[in-house]
Formats: sequence, C-alpha cells, structure tokens
Amino acid sequence: MMRLNTIQALSAGFWVSNRINKLKIVHSMIVAAGLVGLALAATQLRDSQAAQLSPQNQAKWLIVNYWSEWCAPCRVEIPVLNALNETLSPTNVTIVGVNFDEDPREITLSIAADMGIEFPTLTMDVVAELELRAPDVLPTTYILSPGREVVAKMIGAQTQESLLAQLAILNLPVEKD
Amino acid sequence: MNYSAATVLLRPLHTFCIVICVGFIAMGTALQAADAVVVELMPSPAAINSSLSRVITDSKGQVYLSWVTREDELATLRYSKFDGDSWTDPAVISSGDNWFNNWADFPSLLVNDDNMAAHWLSMSAEGNYDYDIKVAFYSSRNDSWGKGITIHKDGISAEHGFVSMLPMSEGRTFISWLDGRETAGGGDHVTGARADPGMSGAMTLRAGIFDSAGATVGEWELDHRVCDCCQTSAAMSATGPLVVYRDRSEAEIRDIYITRYANGAWTEPMPIHNDGWEIAGCPVNGPAIAARGEQVAVSWFTAKDDAPLVQLVVSTDNGKSFSAPVLVASQTTNGRVGTTILESGEIAVSWMHTEGPDAKIMLTRFGAEGNLLETTQIANSQASRRSGFPIIDSVGNDVYVTWTDVSGAAQVKVARVIYSSSKGE
Repeated sequence: MMRLNTIQALSAGFWVSNRINKLKIVHSMIVAAGLVGLALAATQLRDSQAAQLSPQNQAKWLIVNYWSEWCAPCRVEIPVLNALNETLSPTNVTIVGVNFDEDPREITLSIAADMGIEFPTLTMDVVAELELRAPDVLPTTYILSPGREVVAKMIGAQTQESLLAQLAILNLPVEKD
Repeated sequence: MNYSAATVLLRPLHTFCIVICVGFIAMGTALQAADAVVVELMPSPAAINSSLSRVITDSKGQVYLSWVTREDELATLRYSKFDGDSWTDPAVISSGDNWFNNWADFPSLLVNDDNMAAHWLSMSAEGNYDYDIKVAFYSSRNDSWGKGITIHKDGISAEHGFVSMLPMSEGRTFISWLDGRETAGGGDHVTGARADPGMSGAMTLRAGIFDSAGATVGEWELDHRVCDCCQTSAAMSATGPLVVYRDRSEAEIRDIYITRYANGAWTEPMPIHNDGWEIAGCPVNGPAIAARGEQVAVSWFTAKDDAPLVQLVVSTDNGKSFSAPVLVASQTTNGRVGTTILESGEIAVSWMHTEGPDAKIMLTRFGAEGNLLETTQIANSQASRRSGFPIIDSVGNDVYVTWTDVSGAAQVKVARVIYSSSKGE
C-alpha cells in the first residue's frame, strides 16, 4: 500500500492538474488523488501517534489488548475497550492494541479503522520491546505496570465490569460510570 | 517411494542436506537412542513472496506441494508435483483479488487418482468478515481446472472456512468445514446467543460429499456449536471418514472432539480427551488426525490454566476409542500441530517449539502405540503468525514437511525427513 504525505500528494496533484486542466475528467481524477493523499496522511498521523507511544518512555500502566480482524469475540470486545479508553483518559492507565496477525503497518491501521478501534495500535517494534509471549487465545488482554511487568492476563472477551474489577484488584484509580 | 539412507546420500539434493541425528528431547523427557534421522532440505518450487503451503501425498505415493503468492491484491494458488528428483513447473490452479487469505485458514489441494480438487476462500459482498468456500475440480480429460464452486448452499453471507478434504471412491471428494450460517443476522459470537429463534448463533461444523463435477452427493451438520477459529482435520479410516475439531460447550469448554461416519450415519461427537480447557476466545490451533487402516492418531494443542501442551492419542479401532494422552511438548510450544502415520505404523507429530520470538519446527516420532522414539528439529522459524502452520504428510517411512521461511522475504520451504530404520531395528 503506497504511502504519501499531505504535501507530496497535493503538490503532485496541483502541479499536474495545472498543465492539463482542460481535461476535466483527468483533473477530477487528480483532485481525487489529492483527497486520497489526505486520507493517507491522516492514517500516517494515527500511525505517528501510535509509534510515539513507546511504552518504555511512558510512566503509565498499560492495558495491552491482542486482537485480530477474524476473531469474532475481539470485534465484540472493541466497543467495550473504546469506552473504557475514554474513561481512563485522565488516569495513569492507557489502552493499546496489538494486531495478532502482524500485518504490515498500513494494513494493520486500515483494519483497526475498519474494526472501529479508537485506541492506539502498537507497532511491532514496540510490541517486541514489551517482550510479551504472544497469546495462545484471542482476545487476550495483559495489564502491565509502569515497569512493564505483566501483572494480569485476561483470556477471552472481556466486559467493562471484568476489566474494571481487574483494575480495582490492582488498586488502580478508576471511577466506575 | 522408499529411500534407504545410503541411496539418499548419493543424491544431488544432499548438497542442501541439514543432517543430523538429533535426539533433541523437549521438556525433560528422557533422551533415547535414535536411529539415523536425515533432514533433507529440498529445493523449493515456490518463488520468493510465497506462503501458505501444504504438502500432500496421493495413493500412488506421489508428493504435491501447493502454495499462494500475492501481487498487490491478486492472490494465486499454485501447485507442483515432486517426480522423485525434482519438482514439476508450478501450475496455476486459480487466482483472485477477493480472496480471504489467513495464516491459519488457507487454500488446500487434494489429489484423488486422476482427479484433483482445490479450495480457497472468497470474500462475499455483504460483510467485511464474510467469506465463502470455493472448490475447483480438475478435469484430466480437459487437462484444466474448472471454475470455483461454492460448496455450501446456504446462500448466507457469513464466515465459512477451515476446510479439510479427503479422496473418496468414484472420484468423489469428502469436505468438512466450519460454517457460520447460524451466526448471521446478529448472533452473539461471545455467548453463542441465537440471532433469531431459527438460528443457534454459534459456528457449526458441516461436511459433504461432492462428485468430480462438484455436485453435492450428501451434506450434513456434524455439530451445531463449535469453536469459531480452529482448523478441522479429517482422515479416512477403514470404516469411513473421521473428523476432529475443537468443540465449544455451553460452558465454553473447548476440547477436541471426533465424529465418525459409520453405518450410513455420523456418530454423536465425543471428546478424544477431557482437557477441560475453558476459554471464551479463539485459540486458532486445531487438531490434526491421521489414519492408516484401523489405526488412528490425533495430536492437538491445549492450554488449560495457561499451561500450553501438545498431546497425542492413538486408536486401534477406527477412532471409536483412544489411548490416554501422550505428552508431545509442554510450556515452550504454541502448538500448530501436524500428524501422519508411517508405513511402519509409527506416528510423526509436528509442532512448534517457541523461545520468545524465535521458534523451531519440530518433528517427534512415536511407536505405533504412542511410545516416544525421538524428536528432531526440522528448521528454525519464528513464533510470528507470518510463519504460519507447518504441514506434514508421509510416503512410506519418509515425512515431508513444508513451512514458510520469514527470516527474509517470505518463501515456502520443503524438507524430507528420512527415518533410516523404523521400529528401532
């Protein structure tokens, strides 16, 4: 999947379109290409946000959720995690995702968008730094301390209640809705 | 196709040989004196950027390899036959830009005398995660592959996959698969709650017999509630087809079950062993069955209490009953098993040994009763999903193994494991 940034995409589109602007169909195609470039740039932004979330550099508790597009329970669990992610935003706990299938980054972000995942998806480099054993079952959710120790492993689809209960066991300050 | 160790060592292929009589025994099991085991890396007929391979053998002892290549969105299924010295030029079975290719659920090839069948998964239009099983049949008369036929006739946009195929008489093909028709329309995958009163809401196991033109001869639902995401496996015993799969009980126990076709009907599914693995999720780790006459062997992965195990059971009565489980591997394994029975009656089980991100493809040989003979490393690999599932089959007492090497650009590899002396002779 080709990667473009905004300036490259729009510049290329307008440079070419100025020269052939009498050809309306081609012009339209080029403008469309520019819009595609914008969309890809937005994807890159999400990618950038995720890549910056280097767990080694964050003094936060991490909830690490392994998901896959073909895993039905994973898809069911996503809205729960999205809602919890919003709840946790002012706290010292953050949710991140891992694409179990290890697809190329662009494909992973595209799948994450299709699945409606609103929390960051880690790059495989960052996942490697965590040194987690890939789970035997999907979905699996780990909770890591700021020191990156695994303090909890939850196998199977979780509910908001089960996640909050686990956080409570760990004495993490989360208020229930 | 039998090769003595001496004959094999004279072959040019042996320039590539990684040989070693290993006696590598995992997890504290006792080291046993092993006969010479030769692991011969064969030249691969699959080019760079190939993956999702399977090795199969036919009744004449010929070896075939199938694999998938991708160019952008276009996926192509190819195969090649090993003629004893080299692989034939790869032939295209089919290609498409709407295939669902997954590291755990991927195309297969079946050779049945002069007939062949191949399957792949094709995305259906209505849903993002919905796909159909397409099967194409090869006509030796026309020397060409027919168009892919959707074998399930439900017409429902849902998940269909994890196919197993067996050759039958009169050029017929037995196919088992996971069928998500009951999950469509809002069924709850987590609870298995029904979407409407007519649907179970859960993944089902189905099977059918198809003639050489793809017409349905018979079709059955074998189990109405099974695990969503594990491979099925089928084998032909002396009394008929056997299918093993990961069940899903109401209490979310996901143990391995077997059902047999006997006296014109399918038997009530029964567990091959009560592991008691309770999980509300997808293990993506199906069982592997092999049969030779009345002998049946099943290996599988389980991880009750988060303790990974690969186990083996053996049957001498066509799968009616099984021995107590024999441990194949534990702790440092992520399963991905394969099973084959050698001409000698010995059993070979492939599995993955994991060490963090690294992995080794292992092959353990057992006696006919399940007694451990030795474990041999076949290749280095990675625990990564991209390395896929190693697949094995055998001719005589030689085991063929295929996998995807992902150390660089992905490429399908194939090796032959030669047991120079079986039964400890």
